[in-house]
Amino acid sequence: MRKFFPVEDLARDSRFTQINMRQAEADPRTALVGPNAGKRAKVNRLTPSRPDASEAARNLMHGIFVGEIQALEGAGRTCHDFELPDSKDPLSTDTVPFALKLDMARQAWDESRHVEISVKLGEWMGAEIGQFAENTILFEAACSNDPVMRLAGVNRALEGLAIDVFTTMKEFGEVAGDPFLEFCEDWMLADEVTHVKMGSDWLRKVTENDPERRKKALEFQSIVDRLFSFGGARSESDDSPIGLARRFRELAGFTTDEVDEIADVSLAALEARKAFSAAAMASAE
Amino acid sequence: MTVPFVTVTVEPEEFRFVAFDSALIRKIGESYVASLRIDRPVRIRVDETTPLGRIRAEIGDTIEVTVESGAFENAKQPRQQSEVATNINLGRILLRVSDRLHGGFAETPLDDDMSLPQMAAWETYCAGRLTRMGLRINKQRWLYNFRNRHGFTDVADAAFETLWSADNLTWSELDTISSNATLNAVPS
Repeated sequence: MRKFFPVEDLARDSRFTQINMRQAEADPRTALVGPNAGKRAKVNRLTPSRPDASEAARNLMHGIFVGEIQALEGAGRTCHDFELPDSKDPLSTDTVPFALKLDMARQAWDESRHVEISVKLGEWMGAEIGQFAENTILFEAACSNDPVMRLAGVNRALEGLAIDVFTTMKEFGEVAGDPFLEFCEDWMLADEVTHVKMGSDWLRKVTENDPERRKKALEFQSIVDRLFSFGGARSESDDSPIGLARRFRELAGFTTDEVDEIADVSLAALEARKAFSAAAMASAE
Repeated sequence: MTVPFVTVTVEPEEFRFVAFDSALIRKIGESYVASLRIDRPVRIRVDETTPLGRIRAEIGDTIEVTVESGAFENAKQPRQQSEVATNINLGRILLRVSDRLHGGFAETPLDDDMSLPQMAAWETYCAGRLTRMGLRINKQRWLYNFRNRHGFTDVADAAFETLWSADNLTWSELDTISSNATLNAVPS
């Protein structure tokens, strides 16, 4: 079976339309700056009190659905792409312990369940499969040749984002009184916390005697965290629809300093987004 | 009855941040103006600086429709226009305008003063009529919106069906259905 699968070759049927992060970031529009920004709500967080709450929640649910597909594909690839360690080359960077493969297999099983749950939740909310563009950034973070980079990019950054998203959606369902949304998100959230914990534990274990490799992996995670902030869509600011779920991140093995860093990175992404949009609008005048 | 010719204008005529076609928007607007017997000029202003999708209308000598670009956008292809979305969302707002103009809706609050359940009820009433005008509308989408505002209950679902299938409601009737759905809610 083929190894190291490129993002362009992911299997999707005709319902799906894919975009990459560059295309998404090229969109100069934002609700946060511009001539009419002052007339909009001061708080942009995704809650049922937003006039467009149903539409925004449906859009986010579709994003969760495609994210789960890509997380399934990423975990499956990591399980398959790397060989077991060779005792003659213990410092090899392209092998993984068998127990790590088992964890990735368990994660793939979890993600496939999440895909099915997300499809049903999407139908419940009135979304159709492929209704929204699929951003492929999540799988792109899972394409590194170094398994430790994948742990940093996928398990810690991607699944960390999933913790933030599921917490936001769980609270949305709770406040709206949606009997299924809150329940399902809570269960999936528990899985995501486990996935992040697996990533945190394996990252520390595999790089135990290789501080330089660990440093590179954490730098990669920081880059991915900035990208996964989607131009400020996730941060602790009220301008962001998705908040940062500090408590669940701590349960997942993030230190307070690490969460603080993600908060800073996310806020910087939000401010960069505002500056980009303001400049685009100014140049168009 | 003869319907006077009513002009529809679209601003901007040329878009900078999105690839929208003002002529297509105008054509769809003119079609609704004729079929809904709207008797005064309509100006459609598209705010292309935001991807949000809110639409609103103010009725004066001219009907001012303000649309955030997300309302006309193809969700599969960001910044591209969707004729289907343009049809549905222009139809929603112009049906509300038509309701206000043609009687039975005199005591309707201004859009900004309307509660979220009232707006969800009116939107349901509009979406149901658009279906019968031949547009393909995802009913579950509007049911979910209605439930978010009236509760996830059998009473709310029954009220939704009443509004969805109605054609000649007054504001008072619509508001009563919405209020009862919330007040008499029994969890399912």
